[in-house]
Amino acid sequence: MASSLPITNPPLVCWNCHERTVGTHFCSSCGKVLQVAEHSDYFAMFEMPRKLWVEMTALEKKFLQLSWKLHPDNFMNATAEEREISLKRSSELNDAYRTLKDPVARVEYLLAIEGARKEGQTKQQAPPELLEEVFELNESLDELREAKSSGADTGSLKRRLEAAETNFEGKLREVDGELQNAAREWDKAIDESADPTQRKTLMSKLNELLNRRSYIRNLVVNVQKELL
Amino acid sequence: MGRIVGIDLGTTNSLVAYLDAQTGQPKCIPGPSGSTLCPSVVSLDPDGSIIVGEPARRRLLTQPERTIYSVKRLMGRGPADVQSELKLFPFRIDPSSGHVIRVQLGDKVFTPPEISSFILRELKNWAEAYFGEIVDRAVITVPAYFNDPQRQATKDAGKLAGLEVLRLVNEPTAAALAYGLHEEQRGKVAVYDLGGGTFDISILKLISTSDGDIYQVLSTNGDTHLGGDDIDNLLQAFVHEQILRTDKIDFSPHGELAQELRKELIALKHKLSEVDSVTLRFPLPNRKVFIHEFTRGALEALIHPVVDRTMVPVKQALADAHLKPAEVDEVVLVGGATRTPLIRRTVQEYFDRKPHTELNPDEVVALGAAVQANILANGVQNMLLLDVTPLSLGIETYGGAVAKVIPRNSTIPASAQELYTTGVDNQTGIDIHVLQGERELAKDCRSLARFTLRVPPAPAGLPRIEVKLLIDANGILQVSAKDLRTGTEHSIEVQPSYGLNDSDIERMLEESIEYAEQDFAERQAIEARTEAESILTATEKALANPNAANLAAPERAKIDLCVAALKEATQGSDYKQIRRQIDELNQATEHLAELLMNSALQSALEGKRLAEV
Repeated sequence: MASSLPITNPPLVCWNCHERTVGTHFCSSCGKVLQVAEHSDYFAMFEMPRKLWVEMTALEKKFLQLSWKLHPDNFMNATAEEREISLKRSSELNDAYRTLKDPVARVEYLLAIEGARKEGQTKQQAPPELLEEVFELNESLDELREAKSSGADTGSLKRRLEAAETNFEGKLREVDGELQNAAREWDKAIDESADPTQRKTLMSKLNELLNRRSYIRNLVVNVQKELL
Repeated sequence: MGRIVGIDLGTTNSLVAYLDAQTGQPKCIPGPSGSTLCPSVVSLDPDGSIIVGEPARRRLLTQPERTIYSVKRLMGRGPADVQSELKLFPFRIDPSSGHVIRVQLGDKVFTPPEISSFILRELKNWAEAYFGEIVDRAVITVPAYFNDPQRQATKDAGKLAGLEVLRLVNEPTAAALAYGLHEEQRGKVAVYDLGGGTFDISILKLISTSDGDIYQVLSTNGDTHLGGDDIDNLLQAFVHEQILRTDKIDFSPHGELAQELRKELIALKHKLSEVDSVTLRFPLPNRKVFIHEFTRGALEALIHPVVDRTMVPVKQALADAHLKPAEVDEVVLVGGATRTPLIRRTVQEYFDRKPHTELNPDEVVALGAAVQANILANGVQNMLLLDVTPLSLGIETYGGAVAKVIPRNSTIPASAQELYTTGVDNQTGIDIHVLQGERELAKDCRSLARFTLRVPPAPAGLPRIEVKLLIDANGILQVSAKDLRTGTEHSIEVQPSYGLNDSDIERMLEESIEYAEQDFAERQAIEARTEAESILTATEKALANPNAANLAAPERAKIDLCVAALKEATQGSDYKQIRRQIDELNQATEHLAELLMNSALQSALEGKRLAEV
């Protein structure tokens, strides 16, 4: 599988032997564990291209292999400095694995390191096509809260909300499907060495899908909380 | 370097174990009595010496006010946290404790880590007697669901006992290590660990790789205040109520009689795991004997709520591991309380699998700790443990909400970075509040640390401070901050909001207060000396004035005496003494001042007169 994006680890000077090193986790000249770089890249840690489809078995295998070498247990008799460096690297390995194994966190991370993740206003706003349903949902939630506090019968309200929950869970699956498709498009663009403009378009699409997903997820969580 | 051991610092019993080099198997070390169990009981002898273990346990009956058990329940907690415990346990907390709990034993007070350190020291002695060598390093186990301050307090206890704590290992994980070595298990394993005071459930994945075996914890959950103690409390409350009704005797809950009854009930509880019915015969102070027949069924009805409570974390842990009960390959029971038939039955039914009980449930955690101790002493060879943090780590955000930065069940070590800037021009500090827990509001989570990031004055939004939170392999938080504009790194001393039970830290605090007092005294002395100097100069000048000759001889002598005394006082650093001498001299020179004043007035008037002329 050809990838036009190089797997980049920022060049580093080894803290121990002061040589410039090309290793990923260990110095290529003295073999000591390397300090965590300023702008490290989780994909590069696993020697993977910045693509969104990840083969989970391979990811796990690589994680376990690296854990053998990087876990703090390996550095109990090392100097305080090396222990400190290995602790940071080991935690970064775990952070990277945690992020990359989760499909949504993976997209968020990719956009973040590509400088394309925009949260904030767009995230809080209801997607236009959902406005009406969200409005109804919020009304039902208010009614349920009122009914709860006044001790009124909540049976029919709860049924209405349960239906709404099912509806929004369906929409969540839809977004997840769209997100998957967009991820596939991204990977294809990487494989085909697509130009920056096309990549930018894909990223803003992914970004918008993430915001929509997070919005709908919050709705579902809120409804679930009220129905508990 | 001395020997290394694994220690299970339990609520009820503690044990010490090592890895036998010959057999490659872990082994528990017996104490002087031949038993490997050291009751986690500490007593302060009237002669001032500390008594630990079985002899201390006997003193629960004879000297309850000098003796403490279940101190683990107090580890890493503040006085406000333990109010509910105080109703159930005979802890005598020093009312002047402040934010650090101090337990009263006789006429002395101790922090919970100090009391735990006495237990650790006892086990250290056992091991040193056994090896005939120094023991200076240990792996100590903690409940998987222990939070940061509880872990920190345990580490402090180790330090106070003269042990370098190489690692804190979660109890269910340690048990899995011991079982793995014993059984060569593979696949997904659930460890159900009900100890004296804590409950843990951990789901692990045992993976064989070409490098060796990996024990990967997928999820953990629990309750750090749920255990065999709770069963004992239920039994005790039940019998107290019976006796109150039939004999009108109201037990003072923590007196000697209550301790005696508790001891009987624990024995009865143990017997009911073997036989179907036991009759309690308990002599009362009114010379009657309380008789009650307990059946296993009645006991089970009584303790059902406790067993049910354990199933809530079990379900959560499975959900977090994305597993159904049937997908678990093996179930392991750990902790003395799992000898209870009701618990065995409940767990077996839920997982539809006969649980493993081959290893002694009291010893298995210590054995696993010894395995991990050996790994740390000799380097990773063919076994690696990947554990998780039991609770989410969060930072308080606007409006008292919590933003989770490291989710629970993240493999440790784990870290998270947050970027901060200022909101107003020339703001010099940013307040950060780190919390642990699953709730959404800061007030419902455990506060771990509060600190203020110092920022050089700059326009709002310009400073960029990156705060890095790192949970180490012990499950303990480390915080550092970096100014991204200058690249300067600051390590931040994280002072837990409670649980500051380390006597060293306390001593440092006390010293800092003493120092503060010293600084104050020094400043006062400097001010007093300056004032003394100006008064001495003024007096000298006045005495040189011709009008001073009008002073009576004794007056003059008194002034000279006071000048000498003040001069002497300024040589010292006692500001109060300087002030006193200043006052004396002021009094002695009152007449002199008057004389000078009058003559000055006269000459002024004369002058005026002259001028008028």
